[in-house]
Amino acid sequence: MYDIKKIRNFSIIAHIDHGKSTLADRLLEYTNAVSSRDMAEQMLDNMDLERERGITIKARAVRFEYKAEDGGIYDFNLIDTPGHVDFGYEVSRSLTACEGALLIVDATQGIQAQTLANAYMALENDLEIIPVINKIDLASADIEMAKREIEDIIGIPADDAPCVSAKHGLNIKDVLEKVVRDVPYPKGDVSAPLKALIFDSYYDSYKGVIVYIRVFEGSISVGDNIKMMHTGAEFEVVETGTLSAFSTVQRKTLYAGEVGYFAASIKSIVHTEVGDTVTNADRPTDKALPGFKKAVPMVFSGIYPADGAKYGDLKDALEKLRLNDASFLFEPETSIALGFGFRCGFLGLLHMEVVEERLEREFNLDLITTAPSVIYELTLKNGNVIRIDNPSNYPQPDAIEVASEPIVKASIITPSGYVGSVMELCQDRRGLFLDMKYIDSDRAELHYELPLNEIIYDFFDALKSRSKGYASLDYEIIGYRPSKLVKLDILLNGDVVDALSFIVHADKCNTRARRIVEKLKDHIPRQMFEIPVQAAIGGKIIARETVKAMRKDVLAKCYGGDITRKKKLLEKQKEGKKRMRTLGTVEVPQEAFMAVLKLDDE
Amino acid sequence: MVISLKTISIYVHIPFCRKKCNYCSFYSLPDCDDGIKQQYTDALIRQIKAFETDSSIKSIYFGGGTPPVLGVKRLLAIFEEIKSSFSLAEDCEITLEVNPRSVTLDELIMLREAGFNRISMGMQSADDNELAVLGRTYTNAQYEYAMRSVSAAGFVNISTDIIFALPEQTKEGLVKTLITAINMNIPHISVYSLSIEGGTPFYYKRDSLCLPDEDTEDEMYYLLCDIMQKHGYMHYEISSFSREGYESRHNLHYWDCGEYIGFGAAAHSFYNGKRFSNIADVGTYIALADECFYSPTDFNTQPVLSDIEKAGERIMLGLRTSKGIKTDDELIRRSEKFINNGYAVIRDGILSLTDKGYRISNSIIAELLV
Repeated sequence: MYDIKKIRNFSIIAHIDHGKSTLADRLLEYTNAVSSRDMAEQMLDNMDLERERGITIKARAVRFEYKAEDGGIYDFNLIDTPGHVDFGYEVSRSLTACEGALLIVDATQGIQAQTLANAYMALENDLEIIPVINKIDLASADIEMAKREIEDIIGIPADDAPCVSAKHGLNIKDVLEKVVRDVPYPKGDVSAPLKALIFDSYYDSYKGVIVYIRVFEGSISVGDNIKMMHTGAEFEVVETGTLSAFSTVQRKTLYAGEVGYFAASIKSIVHTEVGDTVTNADRPTDKALPGFKKAVPMVFSGIYPADGAKYGDLKDALEKLRLNDASFLFEPETSIALGFGFRCGFLGLLHMEVVEERLEREFNLDLITTAPSVIYELTLKNGNVIRIDNPSNYPQPDAIEVASEPIVKASIITPSGYVGSVMELCQDRRGLFLDMKYIDSDRAELHYELPLNEIIYDFFDALKSRSKGYASLDYEIIGYRPSKLVKLDILLNGDVVDALSFIVHADKCNTRARRIVEKLKDHIPRQMFEIPVQAAIGGKIIARETVKAMRKDVLAKCYGGDITRKKKLLEKQKEGKKRMRTLGTVEVPQEAFMAVLKLDDE
Repeated sequence: MVISLKTISIYVHIPFCRKKCNYCSFYSLPDCDDGIKQQYTDALIRQIKAFETDSSIKSIYFGGGTPPVLGVKRLLAIFEEIKSSFSLAEDCEITLEVNPRSVTLDELIMLREAGFNRISMGMQSADDNELAVLGRTYTNAQYEYAMRSVSAAGFVNISTDIIFALPEQTKEGLVKTLITAINMNIPHISVYSLSIEGGTPFYYKRDSLCLPDEDTEDEMYYLLCDIMQKHGYMHYEISSFSREGYESRHNLHYWDCGEYIGFGAAAHSFYNGKRFSNIADVGTYIALADECFYSPTDFNTQPVLSDIEKAGERIMLGLRTSKGIKTDDELIRRSEKFINNGYAVIRDGILSLTDKGYRISNSIIAELLV
């Protein structure tokens, strides 16, 4: 029975490890949406990688019923959110689909950077925030402290916040009752033309793209002709329904206020972009929902199979991943050093790592990845303007009139104690200070303009380590700006290795060059002859290290005919060789390519 | 009647010694009581009796441990069993490993008379301080005395071991050791660089050992190659130098991919195309010898080497000696960079490693195996 007043759409937002997934599990368990027997694993996060890294990469949603104390049966839609800066836009779309959010605070740790960043985003979306104090079973829990922080820092009342132990299933009902009472029911005119928000989608090999939507106005039924308002694509709906913990439940129609899915024989997720508005093609709504942004890859990197013969496998894997991730692009490229591979575009560095890890884990591929790059805009002396996302295509210095690089506006929230070191970091990354304001006595928000190329390597890690994990980062691209850029080439035994070239600001090229050659020296094993490792700009060497020739590698004694030991040793050595790439005359292990990406980890 | 043209070698492992040296990682038991030694001797004899072959025996090697620690009478009993069980080639090389203080002149004479014709006596160093650091329980004077006894007993084919790159060793120290051995006219000298193996006393104090740095070790190596050559020794194997005709036939047999049978705990065998080994535990070995022919778990279940494995072994073992391996076009192409960098040479269609190549033979072999 459709009753918009009985619908509650909400998300759970929390700092990593504050218990988001565990609470979600308990809610489902308490309402019998899943049996505890099926609950061996947390189900909302269903990718291995997410569980391991404690992050949620793709949003998922679950519908379940709750019989409240007032006797009514309520439809709950719990929408999960991804938790990283690269996916900020996806998070904001997921939150837009809700009326309320559970803000989990760990009673032993209090408010953390991510709690705050998420809470602000929820407030921006006008969500009703329900604080939930978790982990009250722990001896070090300080419920009063957690409540005080919520009131002082976020500024929302926390007096009657449910205090739970998600781990032990304590006071879960309080949370459910609170959702019924405090989360507003959705407003929406069922008779108006269809207006629904896409907040996620995935590719199913039988049904085509399954699109996750929140209906704001009107309704969507099997047989309807629908239109994506931004992409303009039109389809006929073949299936709609709601989402349960393990499967989908078919329904003929979804009405205003509801969360569910539809399928319409859509061949590619290119047509179903997150944030787009779905309307009825025959009776369209006049205005799309606000806030749509096209997902634009900002970070590019070359991905090559470690074993050149696996090129076809890599291509298949990339195509499969692309089916479920429209923000990720790839096209073939060739490197003199690495052979055939692909230039891939990502939303950010985490997105890149996620894709690489999935390729290695789910598709069992060994990869070599080149240093990430942004897109540079070059005005050449001949007047042409070109865009370069691969350093090896960077023109000679004398051909360039003006080189421009993308700039972001970054917002960093940090406890006041770390303001100094965060500013130092931004300074070091060529940041332009805009302003700083204190959110309260403990927390400051800083705004900087930073070149994107300075934050794609390891900025996030550096920020975390300088703030003991408390600082959070958000950024948006604001445009291009001319800059003093140079291309740094790396030479092994005198030969340029194209896959190791990268673009760097002229003022930083010496430092960077030195560190790279040092790193390479440490990661290239000794070989039969001495190997110079050099960094050069336009043919001029600016840094050099030497990998000495191998001195001793011999098993002098084979005792009493024990040949098996020696054989095993040599077999292992032989296997090690297989993981090496021969660049000219030099053998380079995969780790060396990785090491170059992580220059600031010491 | 089938006449076998195959000749095999025999290795007898005696895993007993007086005291473990500080660098030793081999299976050997110090301080064993006489009862166990007798049981071990009985077990060995049973294993030898149980093994049947129509191959003639090309060489026999008693290694350890320190074999005389078993008792010379027991060694002779084992040797007698071998002589009566197998047909020894006329020129069979029969080696016994000894330590300077483990045998008397009388015992050496007995061994010589029984048929032993080669003695290998570890020297390691001619410097008493270095000997003490290594945990050897004799002085150089005692070594020289023992070596005179070996000669007096009638042994001519004599070998010794030297270790270099010792803690705090200088190049002068190494030269002194080499010259001492050369002056005693020892025709076969093996020289190893010290390697710190896991589980040894040296391993646990490796950080305080003051080992020569890699440049010094390198210089020591080329210096010793030079000295040995000047004194008429050929560098015929990675770690071994000999005067003409005094190469270790037993070891060359290993590198020639020859077959051999190992008796005793932890002994390795290569027989009928299979490689296998006895369990490295004296107690279990004694118990097993009671019930069966020859550690059947290993012997019967091991696969016969495939052609690919055999080819790999020929490269791996063949490149250990100056006899090298036969080349073909493929091998010539793949060894080009070693030859260009002075690590190997091809002469009369044979690829062999140079002094420089021996030093990094693992890398070269691993690459040729790929």
